[in-house]
Amino acid sequence: MAGVELRNLRKSFGKVEVLKGLDLKVEDGEFVALVGPSGCGKSTLLRILAGLEEETAGDVLIGGEVVNDLSPRERNIAMVFQSYALYPHMTVAENMGFNLKISSKPKAEIKARVQETAEILDLVHLLDRKPSQLSGGQRQRVAMGRALVRNPDVFLFDEPLSNLDAKLRVQMREEIKRLHHKVRTTKIYVTHDQIEAMTLADRVVILDRGIIQQVGTPTELYRNPANAFVAGFIGSPAMNFLPGMLQSDSDTARIELEDGSVLTAPRKPNHPRDGKVLLGLRPEHIMLGEGTGTSNALTGRIDLIEPTGAQNHLRIKLGGQSTTVVDNNLTEVELGQNVAVHVDPDKIHIFEAGNTA
Amino acid sequence: MTKLVRLLPRISMQAFLMVSVCITIFPFVWVAMMGTHSRSEIYSSPPPFYFGTRLLENYEKLLEVMPFWTVLGNSLLVSVLGTIVTVLFCSMCAFGFFAYEFRGKNIVFGVMVASMMVPPVLTLIPFFLTVKFLGILDTHFALWFPTSANAMGIFLIRQYMVTSVSRDLLDAAKVDGASDLRIYWSVVLPLIKPVLATLAIIVFIALWNNFLTPLIVISSPEKYVLTLALRSLQSVANTPWGAVMLGTFMSMIPLLLAFLFFSKQMMAGLTAGAVKG
Ligand SMILES: Nc1ncnc2c1ncn2[C@@H]1O[C@H](COP(=O)(O)OP(=O)(O)O)[C@@H](O)[C@H]1O
Ligand SMILES: [Mg+2]
Repeated sequence: MAGVELRNLRKSFGKVEVLKGLDLKVEDGEFVALVGPSGCGKSTLLRILAGLEEETAGDVLIGGEVVNDLSPRERNIAMVFQSYALYPHMTVAENMGFNLKISSKPKAEIKARVQETAEILDLVHLLDRKPSQLSGGQRQRVAMGRALVRNPDVFLFDEPLSNLDAKLRVQMREEIKRLHHKVRTTKIYVTHDQIEAMTLADRVVILDRGIIQQVGTPTELYRNPANAFVAGFIGSPAMNFLPGMLQSDSDTARIELEDGSVLTAPRKPNHPRDGKVLLGLRPEHIMLGEGTGTSNALTGRIDLIEPTGAQNHLRIKLGGQSTTVVDNNLTEVELGQNVAVHVDPDKIHIFEAGNTA
Repeated sequence: MTKLVRLLPRISMQAFLMVSVCITIFPFVWVAMMGTHSRSEIYSSPPPFYFGTRLLENYEKLLEVMPFWTVLGNSLLVSVLGTIVTVLFCSMCAFGFFAYEFRGKNIVFGVMVASMMVPPVLTLIPFFLTVKFLGILDTHFALWFPTSANAMGIFLIRQYMVTSVSRDLLDAAKVDGASDLRIYWSVVLPLIKPVLATLAIIVFIALWNNFLTPLIVISSPEKYVLTLALRSLQSVANTPWGAVMLGTFMSMIPLLLAFLFFSKQMMAGLTAGAVKG
């Protein structure tokens, strides 16, 4: 078991700088998810951690020691690949035991450890099969078993669930979470799916354009996004952004929207300076109805109604912008109707203009 | 009637294949038949298109004019050794081109592929001079070793690797702690068996049938290979054609066996790229 640390890590492919100086500390036994849009350098970072790719500058530390010059073999990390990368010509048992065989462990020990891991992952009846005879979910479990059996210091996952169908993905997500409670090894989990990251991880790292945008627990990221990118990336449906003008004094922030309506919120230290800003409103924080005295009231026309069963997703034109609203009360509304909505001042986010997901 | 019309394409297809097969195997059958006739019977008119009775005589004659089994042994040695070493070297070299990034890789690979365009006859004299310089004239080594890392084999295997071995697999093996040699041996080789079989049979046939190289390299009769030995008989006045035909036929048998053995993998290897795209 060991923690992982990155110090000013940089990576360029030729002239293209993919990672632009990352600093991150992952505690021993922690489950950290690394999220970001496709192509933002997540896999590259993971491959550098694994020793498959060489960093351009900076340090990688595992268990407090700089491992820059160590081969993958010497780092004692295990990695689960998006494509699973199971050896097609080996049986499940051979796939799982390959690492142990290379380390010249006795046959009996290999057999026992493979058996033990197979029991944890419910793979015992599949041990003699070849990967081609397995379903997607089973292959996924074998790939995890191959990592687990080695008892590594650090687990790396590169979008392990993205090749599974939606239902199986949810199921495997739960299994991974349960696994982490059983095997408390440091885990770094890469995904482009924010829900996966939020549900699994102790802490989530948001990466975009080669820079860490924010690190925090899922709740922190949801409540206090550091910038519009993070705010737009976390949460589903995504946050609404409305351009406006900010005017603030020592304890209130007053935002005038494009159509002239005005919202007020308590002034927070992380608010940008007065002028053009982006107002962030989560769909679930815009309530239908007049609201009470302190809340901000707006009106708008309903453009679209999408019932999902438990909730209705509405598109309402607010402040000159088409805005998503989640209505948990399943209020009876009609298309084209003008409705009043209100927003709790505490739930209003204000960001610098021009930096959204 | 309609049934017949429907079956017509299939029938004509099979008829066509049948005729092709007959044309292909005719020389083999012909040689086998000639091996059972005496010289005068062969020269009679019309030539006898049936199996004769002189098989044993021809066999004795064959052993009299050449040490057939020694020569067959030489051919086997050269072909088997050459095939094994060629498959090994070519696959190692292809693995290098496939798995590593290094400066000038594309240039080296390009030059190598371009060298396949040079007609082999052009290289005959340089080949002879090189072999002579190395002091391996009149050895079997000079027959199989110089071609054991050849461009065609490397190219064939590398292309197959590109389509059938994923890069993630190499990475997974590295993370599993496998050394480069281990990855080559335990991960890559088992996955490219079909193309190894293909290359093996191509190389085996080429070495077995090779006439030019032995002709310029080998001078001692006890080191002759089959092609050379059978050819040398034809310069004798009164060539014992029955014996030559018998020897020729017997020299084809190892090839037939090898083909029977490998044909399935070989077809898989030759068509794999086409199917997978
Ligand atoms: N070997 C490479 N050579 C050149 N560019 C690369 C290489 N690997 C990745 N990249 C580039 O680095 C960027 C990040 O890639 P990657 O880490 O795979 O993104 P992600 O996993 O977040 O989708 C991409 O723009 C990609 O084109
Ligand atoms: Mg990726």
